[in-house]
Amino acid sequence: MDILRVGLLGGLLGLDGTSVGQFMVSRPVVAGALVGWAIGAPALGITIGVILELYLVVSFPTGGARFPEGATATAVAVASAAGVDAAGGIPLGIAVGLVWGQLGGATITGLRHLNSWLAPEPEDATHGPARIVSAHFTAILLDFTRGAVVTGSGVWVGTLVVRRLVESWPLSASASMGLLLVGGAVSAGILLRDLGGFRRRRTVFVAGLALGLLGARFL
Amino acid sequence: MSKALSRAAMASAFVRSFLIQGSWNYHTMIGSGFAFAMLPGLRRLFSENPEQMDASVRRHSEHFNAHPYLCNIALGAALRLEADGADPETVRRFKLAVRGPLGSLGDSLVWATWLPGVSVAAMGLFWLGLPPWMVVAFFLTVYNVAHIGLRTWGFRAGLRDGLDVGRGLGEADLTGWTVRLKPLVVGLLGVLTGAVLGGAGGLGDAGALWAGLGAVGFLGGLLVGHRAWRPAAIGIVVAIALVSASGVLR
Repeated sequence: MDILRVGLLGGLLGLDGTSVGQFMVSRPVVAGALVGWAIGAPALGITIGVILELYLVVSFPTGGARFPEGATATAVAVASAAGVDAAGGIPLGIAVGLVWGQLGGATITGLRHLNSWLAPEPEDATHGPARIVSAHFTAILLDFTRGAVVTGSGVWVGTLVVRRLVESWPLSASASMGLLLVGGAVSAGILLRDLGGFRRRRTVFVAGLALGLLGARFL
Repeated sequence: MSKALSRAAMASAFVRSFLIQGSWNYHTMIGSGFAFAMLPGLRRLFSENPEQMDASVRRHSEHFNAHPYLCNIALGAALRLEADGADPETVRRFKLAVRGPLGSLGDSLVWATWLPGVSVAAMGLFWLGLPPWMVVAFFLTVYNVAHIGLRTWGFRAGLRDGLDVGRGLGEADLTGWTVRLKPLVVGLLGVLTGAVLGGAGGLGDAGALWAGLGAVGFLGGLLVGHRAWRPAAIGIVVAIALVSASGVLR
């Protein structure tokens, strides 16, 4: 039942990535919480969502870019880790999610090639408004189907992998989180470089760091 | 502006602009999506001349690309030009001239600054202990106020200024906004880093080994930039697989 529910949700979230709206409900921080709520694990959902958001904060949904699909990665990771009361659930779910996110990105590239064939040739004198409208809605429907199938299959595989391996996971919950945050730290470094680099922005970065440490201590 | 464009046609074109990337492809990019969004206006303008309308739809389905939010500037301006009866070559040259700037301005302001800024702020709030629904509500509200504001402003500016839309774009000073926002995003990134280091369940709790590896990862990203991302993601998946294998073989 979760496969169907999360698959359909993955299809809707996938649409937001490029085809419809781009309100950013497809970002991991939102998608994680939504999938978590859908399957009754909101805290797990947003925890995984925030970790994957940190990974993907430097991947932008630019038109032609080939990027890992954050919504698929998150939905698969959350659904795979749900119901597992062990330290390995989150890292194993995230590993499957990252792999499936890449697969999702590859299917987007495939869909765009298919859309090249679907979209009417501007030089074709026989095409009119009806052809434009039908091609457009067909492409959106295909994108939804693509997202749903990729997410649903990912949840199926992810659930099998996590259930099979979680009992033998050797790290504690805090060490598992440490391992995951090392990957997030790379993205944080890349983002700082994109925003001007440490040398140029050190004052404001260090001031923020101090505020963050104080906030974590006292809030 | 020409009265030929009704409010309903303009509203419908604006709503359709949210689907402009629906048939994104490597041949015409958002060309067919652009024609799809223009349709309500073109139907209104050429209601008595179907052949002219078909020709106009075909012209607007030619190759075009821009940032999806700022694309509304080109959409509004193209509607205005069609309503004013501009010749097809002028409309084509206008779209050719604006697509580059609208792409690069949008990428730099929205994708490279605003989106990571709101995202970093939301993640910081999570690490500082805010409940999930507040983190999500904060992200969606703050991000989309600017998103929808930008789309609305762009569409209106295009409709108002037509060929002169460059003037409105210059006055809006989007590049200036990008420059001014970047230090703020860096400050928020600092807050997030501090919260992850010092917050419950963060790197500080994981122990010195993981905090040290985190510092190495951060420096690696800072020094190498985007080329470090894919190896880091693959590295994490491989590390999780190896840790898992060590547990299975133990």
